[in-house]
Amino acid sequence: MGILRDSNRSSSSATTPCAHLRTAYHNCFNRWYSEKFLKGQWEKEGCISEWEKYRQCLSQHLDNKHLSRFLEADVVVDLTDQAEFKSKTGVS
Amino acid sequence: MVRAYSQEHTYKHPWERVTAASWRKFSDPANKRTLSHIIEVDTLSHKLERSSGKLYTTRAITVHAPGPWFLRKMIGQDICHCVESTVVDAKSRSMQLATRNISLEKFIEVEEKIRYDPHPDDPNGWTICRQETRITIKPLSALATMAEKIEQKCVEKFQHNSAKGREVMERICKYLESESRGISA
Repeated sequence: MGILRDSNRSSSSATTPCAHLRTAYHNCFNRWYSEKFLKGQWEKEGCISEWEKYRQCLSQHLDNKHLSRFLEADVVVDLTDQAEFKSKTGVS
Repeated sequence: MVRAYSQEHTYKHPWERVTAASWRKFSDPANKRTLSHIIEVDTLSHKLERSSGKLYTTRAITVHAPGPWFLRKMIGQDICHCVESTVVDAKSRSMQLATRNISLEKFIEVEEKIRYDPHPDDPNGWTICRQETRITIKPLSALATMAEKIEQKCVEKFQHNSAKGREVMERICKYLESESRGISA
């Protein structure tokens, strides 16, 4: 309907080949989040095989270097250090 | 030049349901049409801290570039990559999200922070959402002379999108509510 996507260039991106693995992982995650994590069962990680397959696909297809550095293990942005992060990366 | 604004919204749903809806907000195919500015959402990393019950997640969100059409023409790019970091603390029942753009950052910086907490008036039934958005046009960019206009346009666009986002959140909460009734009935 109407102007859903006006440019073909933007309607698919590099990670589209991983779409079905992404859906499988996100569905699994949503279930794990509601049924395990929120109920206090956080000692066991869920969706491990779904994550591995999806992540492998991403590492092959994610061609944006700014994004792919987040795929390297354990790069987690600390929310409390937003300002600091910005000043580190904001130098041009 | 910076524009900042904050918004508050009360969901008449428990915190657990609202945060579950937040995860589904961008990935549910049913919402694709409403949130048509979102092109793709990928989970890049996640970490579960077993001792504390904290879940850290980083997602990539690809959106249609913000701002008016002439802005997209000038920068020659019509998509924008953002990184969203989330911390969910299941013990204290809080969810915090921070999103910022990692492309087009020479022209514009958008930073959005969202918090979901149990509502003080009804901690088990309601959820309060607090949202802060900062939009900065870089002073030395080619856009500087138009910066004020562009910022205003961006703010309008973001407010419009976040209204649509709340609409989607309410819809998913209702869906989850009926689903949980169906299971327990």
